[in-house]
Formats: sequence, structure tokens, C-alpha cells
Amino acid sequence: MRSIRLFLYGIPAALILLVVAAFVNASFLSVAKKNEMSIGTIGEPSTLNPIQQADSASGQVAGLMFNGLLKYNQDLEVVGDLATTWDLSQETTFQFATEEEATTACAALDGICWEVPLKTSHEGKLLFIQLQEPGLKTSDELEKILLKKGLHPLSFPPLEKEGKERPFKAEPTIRFTLRKDVHWHDGAPFTSADVAFTYHAIMDARVASPSSSDFELVSALETPNPYSVVVRYKKPFSPALLSWMQSILPAHLLEKVEPAKWAQIYNRHPIGTGPFKFGNWKTNEYIRLVKNPDYFRGSPWLDSVVFRVLPDPLTLQLAFQTKQVDFWAVEPWAVKGVENDKRFDLFSSAGNTYNYIGWNLERVMFQDLRVRKALAEAVNIPQMIKYILYGRGIQSTGIFTPKMWFFDPKIQPLPYDPKAAEALLDQAGWKVGTDGIRMKDGKRLSFTLLANNGNEVRRDIATLVQDDLKKIGVEVKVEIYEWSVLLKRFVNKGEFDAIVLGWGLGNDFDQYAIWHSSKTHPEELNFVHYKDPEVDHLLTDIRQEYSRPEILRLATKLQQTIYADQPYIFLFVPEGTSVMWKNSYRIRRPGSKPGEWIDSPVTMTKAGWNYDIEWFYRPEYIPKIPATQIIK
Amino acid sequence: MISFIIRRLALSVVMLFIISIISFFIITLTPGSPYPWGELNPKISAEVKANFRKKFHLDRPLHEQYALIVRDLFTGNLRSIKDDRPVMSRILERLPATVALNITSIVISLSFGTLLGVTAARFHGHWQDALGSIIAFLFIALPGFWITYVVVIALVKGFGVPILGTHSYGIEFPNTLASGLDTLWHLLLPATILALGGIASQSRYLRATMIESLREDYIRTARSKGLSEEVVLYKHALRNSIRPIIAGIGMLLPALIGGAVVIETIFAYPGMGRLGYEAVLERDYPMLVALNFVVAALVLLGNLISDLLAAAVDPRVRLE
Repeated sequence: MRSIRLFLYGIPAALILLVVAAFVNASFLSVAKKNEMSIGTIGEPSTLNPIQQADSASGQVAGLMFNGLLKYNQDLEVVGDLATTWDLSQETTFQFATEEEATTACAALDGICWEVPLKTSHEGKLLFIQLQEPGLKTSDELEKILLKKGLHPLSFPPLEKEGKERPFKAEPTIRFTLRKDVHWHDGAPFTSADVAFTYHAIMDARVASPSSSDFELVSALETPNPYSVVVRYKKPFSPALLSWMQSILPAHLLEKVEPAKWAQIYNRHPIGTGPFKFGNWKTNEYIRLVKNPDYFRGSPWLDSVVFRVLPDPLTLQLAFQTKQVDFWAVEPWAVKGVENDKRFDLFSSAGNTYNYIGWNLERVMFQDLRVRKALAEAVNIPQMIKYILYGRGIQSTGIFTPKMWFFDPKIQPLPYDPKAAEALLDQAGWKVGTDGIRMKDGKRLSFTLLANNGNEVRRDIATLVQDDLKKIGVEVKVEIYEWSVLLKRFVNKGEFDAIVLGWGLGNDFDQYAIWHSSKTHPEELNFVHYKDPEVDHLLTDIRQEYSRPEILRLATKLQQTIYADQPYIFLFVPEGTSVMWKNSYRIRRPGSKPGEWIDSPVTMTKAGWNYDIEWFYRPEYIPKIPATQIIK
Repeated sequence: MISFIIRRLALSVVMLFIISIISFFIITLTPGSPYPWGELNPKISAEVKANFRKKFHLDRPLHEQYALIVRDLFTGNLRSIKDDRPVMSRILERLPATVALNITSIVISLSFGTLLGVTAARFHGHWQDALGSIIAFLFIALPGFWITYVVVIALVKGFGVPILGTHSYGIEFPNTLASGLDTLWHLLLPATILALGGIASQSRYLRATMIESLREDYIRTARSKGLSEEVVLYKHALRNSIRPIIAGIGMLLPALIGGAVVIETIFAYPGMGRLGYEAVLERDYPMLVALNFVVAALVLLGNLISDLLAAAVDPRVRLE
């Protein structure tokens, strides 16, 4: 009897008591914060091995434990990380039928032809010229000098069938000098052998590295001594320089191990060179990194950084509001709610993504530029930014976004002008029919616009476009599909009229994969089938140039040409916003002189508000920093 | 008894295979692919994609893929596409959290369900019964995720109480009691919400059978013998009405695992439900096959246990 009653009343009563006690405990929990930064990451990182990861969650965590040879600074300029200097040069080879011609040519290039090793080959004579400046243009200029003197080099077979054939071989070289004060987290010194190992690992098919395409053009990598690395390329390819931001792996730990075993011995507890060392990883809960007191730039201020694995943005918001994570990437609609909140510091800037509507240029109706232009002018993009992004974005003016140094700010966005759009359509022969929809040669100006399920921004874009275009007599049918269905059934097969999508770009001027006419096959990215010989040339040239002015010139031309052609309606560049609890962090980073420190609040930079996390500190831990070192 | 168990286990093995075949083909029928880098990525070459497909046998026909997965599952070599770790170790590391959550939840739903059911039957026709019915129907009718969000928003907006994961972060706990209670809080909250549906259905089952039992002749006999109402209620009526609850435990298990997917995701709780949810999003076929296998095995085991328990408490049930 008693036991039954105990079960019936006792257990529920005990449970209620426990819940109350636990709740009271949770709500009056001491607010003594550890000297630890807590960052929310949506989705579990797959691996902490930087050459095997392709997801952003993994990259974010590994980024604090590893260094590359190069990195971006706050203004997104390339600076040295593990490398102190990097020198570029280029060897240009001409081939002549006879030795006399070669000697004359070398004399003609007086002043730049400072090395003349003439090698005999059965096809003729080779002439090597080494120049400080790599790039196609410099070799082109040498050729011009030779042609002016009436010297005609024999033509080389081109490496790939892209661009025009040229009568020379141009092979750039990068020489890196490495830092001598870098150690791995286990104490072993960092040397050029690690760089060589990382390169070979990336190219190893067993590793299945998603970065391998970045290094395909490397012809040789040499390590003349422990602190220099010489990389030779088969042809000029300037984005290759950025590929050396790739994190470097420790050769001494991985060299002798089968790549198949890396998952067990390394990928979940890696050894790097970065400001933070691996601490522990509880799957689907957190990854904790602890400070590396021996970091070559100096020990970080924080004791540890914990990445909390959260399933979705809403959970991230809950975690932020209960101070369980320190930062929150706010969705556009929620920004209004926090921007005037005195409890928070807010960081916003335009991102590197843009949304667009892509026309399938294989469809006859979209092949007329007047039609594409009319459709673009009839879409009210400012209104779209207002209602979809809550004003948090800017109108896109082409394939680059404003943060990129080669972006052309002079391009004016197409105005919203439905009158002009109607005039253009009339001009193109599309006259309003009896049902209010324009017609030409018995065909109605009607098409299907696709978007993917689960992406509300794109769905809303489709709805607004449908509405705007109806006003000028264009019928749009909107269809929403699951992402992978969209790709498999429509995009990869090229079976669509128009599609709402977005590109998230790094900081890369090389847009070959998206716009070159050779990239229109299934599963390739020029799925709108854009083909323009001038753009093709620009795309091949820009990735072969190294000099900033030249890249800027080509990029500007590229952006202008494509924007004028309107193969997409370039819609908008959304702005990203993050918040943190007011003054919860400040930054103190080394100044230019030794022993000098620059203290500042957290601010937005081109590289984001969270650049240089190793120099973030919690103000309540300020006494732990020697006051003598501080300058304001 | 023993032969019954053996027969049931043999049947379960066959069932498991059928389940695994069905689940594998359903999973692979869903569109999508397990590429970790997203499909429209200008940085990934066709070669890298081909390498990846080869590594995880995605280039083979479906039946071969299935055969390879089953072979690897039983030799312990099956690896998750997501992080290349053995699937079983990934499942096992989630098991403690899942078991803790589900057992706590079963205890909560059984204890409160019984209390509510007995009270409702005892005050059959009175306001207590009506109130119990309203509460039960509310819990059954309202979707679990909706209740969860209401509770979560109230706790977070109103009290700023941390609720996610298995414990609070970035805080120096003053003592072990505080940290223990903190862990308990992170277990009891999701477990209680997970139990709401169970409380409701258990109490309804129990109420119905109790009311029936209370009309039986032996109850009238007991009362006329002059036994106290409490003895009649608990000793005579409750004991004879307990069977649906026992049978319910077997049915609770699959319901809990299903509900846990939602609750674990909202609470960022590191259990098997969330593992499954994430594996579906990532199209991690080996992981999903293994997970389905384990969950199906648990459910079949739960059914067997509840049959055995039913036989143990009710002499009318014979296992043959």
C-alpha cells in the first residue's frame, strides 16, 4: 500500500522538486565568466584537417590552429603568414630555328635578357629569359620586341586549348622565404619540408583533397634549404598565389602514415602552428581550443576558444540571448530588433555574395539583349532590398562585390524604369496580346522561374519578380523545388527558362568557371550558357596576369562587359550583421615597433569583425596584461 | 518461454534486414548527394568529385552499394561519409545521452501518467476528471515542437536561463552542487517536454481501464468487505488496470525516438535523434543505414521486453 502510494505521489513530487531546484540554480547561476570565447557554429565540422575540409564550420575551427604561407590582412591585402617574403619571377622560353637567330634575339633583348643559356634541341634553339615580373603581358612584350626586329620564334604547342596560341613558353616561379621562429604545437620546428609535404599530400589522390585543383599547374616544388620554398608553374596563373593561404600540415607526424589512417590519428586532434592548440572535442556539443603560449606572434590573451555546435540559426539566437555564445549573426529581419538595443554592439557590412536571376540563353526569347534589359529594368530592385532584406543590402552591379579591390564602383545600376522596359519590348517586337501578355510570332512572353525550397529570400524574389513583370505584360510562372532536385533535373541539364540563385565568392577575380564559354557542360557552372568571345579572352587573360594595375584594368572591363550584357538580372548584395554583448571584448594587437601594443574596440574591417581572434580579450581580465606594454 | 524468446529474436533478425533494405532504398531515392562542399562550388574540380565518389563507393550501382554497406557494417568497417569515422563509434558516443534522455522521459511520463490516470478515474465525472481530460487532450493535440518553442521562448526571454546542450558554458561554477544541478536542468527540461505526449496518452489509457475495473464485481466485493477506498483503488483496481501501461512502454520507445529528433534539435542536445537528423541533411547513407538498424533493433527489443513484462504482471498472458 505504502509503496504504491510512494510510487504514485513520491516520484512526481520528487521530479517537480528537482525541476524547481535546477531551474532556480540555472537562473541564479554565478555570472563569473571564464576567460574563454564561445562561438556558435551551425553544423558539426567534418574534419579538422585543413586540406581535407570543404565545409565552412570546419574551416572556421581549423583556421585558429593553422597558418598558411600567406594570409589576408584586415584590408584583404595579401601579406606573409608563415612566409616573410615571396618573390615572383618568370622564365620565358623562345624557340628559334637556328642558333644565329637565337643569338641575335638575345642581343635584341639587350638589358632584359640577362641570362642566356642556349640549349640545343633537335627542333631548334631555345632561348631563356628570366624576368622579375610574371604574367602573360610581360612575355607578350618580349615577343613584340623580337617581331619588330624581324625575328620570328617558332610556335610552341599551347598547354591547353584556351586563349590564343603564343610562340613562347612562360613559366612563373614563386620563391618563399619562411619564418625561422615557428614551432608546431608539439615543439617540432616548422620547415620547408612541411610545405613540400602539404603540397604532395594535396595532390595525392588517396587524400581526396578538395583543394587539389588549385595546385594542378605546379610543375615542381623545391626546397633548397629548410627556410625557402621554390614553386614553379607550367604557365602564368595568378590565382595560384592565393592558393598559398592553404594551411600547412606537419610532415613529421603524417609523412609516414597512410592517408586512410589520418582520420583516426590526426583529423580529430590535429597539431598545427596557429595561436590556439586543440583541446577536446565532444561530438555535436563543442570543440575547445586552448591558447598556444608559444605562438610565434605571441601568446593570445584568451585562455580558450570554444566552438559550440548548434543545429540552426534559431538555436544560435537562443544561445546568444542566454550568453552561451558571444556572437550572433543576425538575420536581416531581426536586425531592427537589435540595432538600437543598448545592450549590444552591432557590426554590419556588405558580404561577398550576390543574388541573381539567370536566364537560360539557349532559349530564343532571352537571346535578345533588349528583352533581357527590359526585364531587368522592370524589376524593382530597391523595393526588393527594402522588403526582402529590410534595407540590409545594396543593388548589385555585376559579377564582383564592393569589398573586392578590383570592383568597379563607377558602374551605375540599371534604374527601375517600367516605361523604358515596355518601350524596349515593343521595339523588340513583343506586342501586348488580347490576354494582356505580350506576343511575338504567335509566342507568348511567358516563362517559368525556378527557385529552391527552404530559401525564403529566393522564394520572395521570385514572387516580387512575378508581380513586377506582370505589370509590363510578361507572364512568370514560379516553381519551387527542393535544392538537389533543382540542380539535378533543371540546372545540370540546362532545362529551365530562368532561375533565382546566388553566388558566394571568395575574394577571387578569377571567374573562369562561371562565365567561360567552355564551362557550359552538365554540372558545370556556366549553366546559363553565356558565350561571348571578348569575355572569354578577358577571363583567360586575367588569370594570367600578376600586376595589380593590369588585373584592375581587366576586371573592370570584365565587370562592365558582363553587366552591359545582362545575362543575369544582378539583384543585390546582402549585408551581413553580427552582434555581441556590449564591450564584452576588446582587441589589443602588436604595433609596428617591438613591445608596442595597439588597443581598440572590436570594429568592422574588410576581413570581418572577427579578424585576429588571437588578439581579442575580455576587459574583465585586463589586469592580467602588463600595463607597461599598453599604449592607446 | 525460452523458445518464445528465441523465436521472437529470430524473427527480429529477419525484420531488421527487411527494414534496412527498405530504409537504404528510401534514403537513396531522396534527391541529393552527400558532397560536403555543396554542389555549385566553382573551386571543386570534376576530378575531386570523382575521387570522392569512388572512396565511398557512390559510383557503384545501388544494390552493390547496399551490399558493401551491410558487409562493412558487420565487419565494423562502415565509415560515415561526413567525417570518415566508424559509424558504430559515432552512434555509441551518442548512446549515453540518448539513453539518459529517454529513460528520464519514460520515468516522467509513467509517473505523471499514472497519477493523472488514477486521479481521473477516482473522480470520474467530477471536475478533477474534466480538468485531467482537458490537460491530456491539450498535450495530445498540440504539436510537440510548438509547446517546446513556447516553453523555450518563455524561459529565454523571461528568465534568460541557459537551456541548450548538456550543460552551461563559459561559466565558473562555485561548487559541484551547482554544476550538478545545471547538468540536471539540461536533462530534465527536454525530458519533461518529450514526456508530455506520453503523460497524456498513458493517463487516458489508464483512466479508461481503471473506470472499467472499478465497475467490476470484485471491486463491489472488496468495497462490501469494508476495505478502505485507498486499498480498493490501488490494490485491486490499479493492479488490474496496469497492463495497458506496460504494453505502452514498448510503444513509447519508438515514439520517444521520433519525438527526440525534434526536441534534441531544438535543445541542441547531443543524442541519436539529432545524429539522425543531421545525417539525413548530409545524405550520409552509411550513417543512416546503421542508425536505422540500431533504432529498429531497439524498437524490436522494446516490444519484446514489453511482451515479457505483460506476461510477468498478468497471469492471463501466456507466451507461446
